[in-house]
Amino acid sequence: MKNVKKPVFFIVAAFILAMAYLTIFGVHTYYGDVETVWIRGVEDIRWGIDIRGGVDVIFTSPEDFSANRNQMDSARAIIETRMVARNITDYEIYVDYSTERIIVRFPWQAGDVSFDPEQAIRELGETALLTFREGDPWDERGYQVISEPEDLPLVISGSDVESAAPQYFDGKYQVALELKPSGREAFSDATGRLAGTGVPISIWMDDYCFSAPRVNSHIGDGRAVIEGSFTAEEAISLATRINGGALPFKLEIDSFNTISPTLGMSSRDAMGLAGVIAFAVIVIIMVYLYRLLGVVAGFALLGQAVGALAVISGFFSGNQSFTLTIPGIAGIVLSIAMGVDANVITSERIKEELKMGKTLDGALQAGYKRAFAVIFDCNVTLLIISFILMGAFGTPDSLAAIILTPLFFMFGPSAAGAIYSFGFTLSVGAILNFIFGVTASRLMTYSISKFKPLRKISFYTRDKGTIGKRVERKGAV
Amino acid sequence: MNDMKKFDLTEKRKLFIAIPLILLACLLIYIPIFGAVVSIEFTGGAMMTYTYSGTLDLGQVESEIRELNLANVTVTPGSAFNSDVELINVAFSSSQGLSAEQLASVTERLTASFPDNDIILENNQNVSPGTGLRFFLKCLVAFVFAFLVFVIYIAVRFKKLGGWSTGVFALIALLVDVMVVVAVFVFFRLPIDSIFMAVVLAIMGYSINGTIIVFDRIRENKTLQSKKLPDRELLNISVRQSLSRAINTTVTTAAALLVLSIVALIYDVSTILNFAFPMLIGLISGTFTSLCLSGTFWVMWRERKENKSKA
Repeated sequence: MKNVKKPVFFIVAAFILAMAYLTIFGVHTYYGDVETVWIRGVEDIRWGIDIRGGVDVIFTSPEDFSANRNQMDSARAIIETRMVARNITDYEIYVDYSTERIIVRFPWQAGDVSFDPEQAIRELGETALLTFREGDPWDERGYQVISEPEDLPLVISGSDVESAAPQYFDGKYQVALELKPSGREAFSDATGRLAGTGVPISIWMDDYCFSAPRVNSHIGDGRAVIEGSFTAEEAISLATRINGGALPFKLEIDSFNTISPTLGMSSRDAMGLAGVIAFAVIVIIMVYLYRLLGVVAGFALLGQAVGALAVISGFFSGNQSFTLTIPGIAGIVLSIAMGVDANVITSERIKEELKMGKTLDGALQAGYKRAFAVIFDCNVTLLIISFILMGAFGTPDSLAAIILTPLFFMFGPSAAGAIYSFGFTLSVGAILNFIFGVTASRLMTYSISKFKPLRKISFYTRDKGTIGKRVERKGAV
Repeated sequence: MNDMKKFDLTEKRKLFIAIPLILLACLLIYIPIFGAVVSIEFTGGAMMTYTYSGTLDLGQVESEIRELNLANVTVTPGSAFNSDVELINVAFSSSQGLSAEQLASVTERLTASFPDNDIILENNQNVSPGTGLRFFLKCLVAFVFAFLVFVIYIAVRFKKLGGWSTGVFALIALLVDVMVVVAVFVFFRLPIDSIFMAVVLAIMGYSINGTIIVFDRIRENKTLQSKKLPDRELLNISVRQSLSRAINTTVTTAAALLVLSIVALIYDVSTILNFAFPMLIGLISGTFTSLCLSGTFWVMWRERKENKSKA
């Protein structure tokens, strides 16, 4: 670290500024009306439903019914199919098998003024109406030309299905379908008529057609096989959906919250303004207190703040992005506070070392070295908190959740994923604190101190350390 | 800071113990009488917020809803500090949750009965009591576990200072901070919900840092001293050395939170205000407890132990 060269400050600072620009504004290109996002800006951050409004529902199986794992998966498939049918793509859905609950969360759909959340929730939980119908709703080019299932003659419905299961046969994934005796005759008739004609039997859930296999042969015994160029996942998904149509229970609404978007988005802009002012205030105080070290702290804090935003937005458009909720913003605020703290601790240490009469280089080195131990402890405790929170309130498949399963298993996935957001932003903040608050700030300070005109002690501390004080201090310590 | 040179923290210990105890007493008197606003995230129940224009008679609204014969209903005016729209809150007590149909019927009834008031459903929260309880218990387990891990971590890191005692006293300081945050939420009648959880955890994180910094100084001074100083002296020196760090960090962070609070107040973003303001108070409390409580208690403990072993 001793031989940090002069240009390092400018490299680090330029890197942080470039990062800040990209993270805030992103990189978008337009080809006609089609916008391609290369790097996500703040505008592209996925806001939690507590900020942008939305719906949060918990469905349960009826009290007097015990649903098994497959049935819960089918119930989930029904909801997913209905979401897709409604053009809602950015939903989250979690299944808790132990307490038989399904948590669904989706944001208010942009531009949809007539959206009625109560209606949407009721429809999501309704018993699925699965039908097998004669004919193809799609034309050769793949456009759906028939949108009402009633326009096609009914063959059988969901209550005629015994089960559907994915299977692997002859190098291909298939779905094996078994019918109840009630549906065999109708199915036998239809397949007898359609075999070899190229006319498919389409499979519908409510008003949504998700498969239309051609009929290859007459099926008289109620055991059919649906073939296609399926992957394993596709075969499982198709089978689960068909089973969903034969689900013997109706989902009940356990809890639901709706938040209108009007409260949210206007406040988001206000908060953006507040964030900028608050950041400016922090930098002004830091520069006032610690002069050049304050300037360095300003860059380091900017790096930390935009770093947190970049991780949340995913930065590159291919990355996964995270949902930012109000507790998540609290997490960022705390991690910024920790960033301030790291810089204050270091600057105070440097000040002390200078007071004790060390040379500038010696003081800087001792300051960063000694401050590190305590900053390390602070960040580790923050990581511990955030880990516990992510385990307790995160999605059941996350690493933290799996490790902490022995502790939280009886509670199932929680409805308040908002707190997960706090834990997540906090853990990101703690890690970024090591990168910016410790490393970047040390690099910048060392490099700045190589410039002759910037080596005046008064640039690094407000105390004009006098000999008398120094002696007194040594005596006291 | 010359006047601080001679201060002795342990002399003020009675005051330090008294402050949290007085606050605790206030809470214990206040809560049974006035209660706390606990969000239905924890208790279960249903709460709907409607916006309306013009004037609306709340009593009339309540009797309209009562005619639907749902659950016990209360209607209160909503709080909008600075906004053109008026709000009403319709809350149902929680012995059993309401179905989506029932809630929709309330909205229908209101829009039909007061057609001139532009009644629009703004927010709706409906939590079954079982889910609320589960969430509450989960938060509790998360807290207790976090506390335990803290104690262990600090005990391990500060083995030199007696290990477990440092962890336990750091924890006591944390509990005082949690109490302060609870007090802010209770006295200002802010809803105790997931934002509350986030604030408590953030303050815990902040306070534990402060405590670590003081203990770290004590440990360092202990190694640096050529002559053996009593713990009491060590603490005073260490707190004095940590003081400017504590003040500068707190002032800087508090200033940022103050900006957030003020902007939230101006733009009427109650959700942001509900965390920025308690966090501001908690920050001050965290600074106080980490400087004044954990170290002082630790010294008192050490001296007692020493006296005992002498006797």
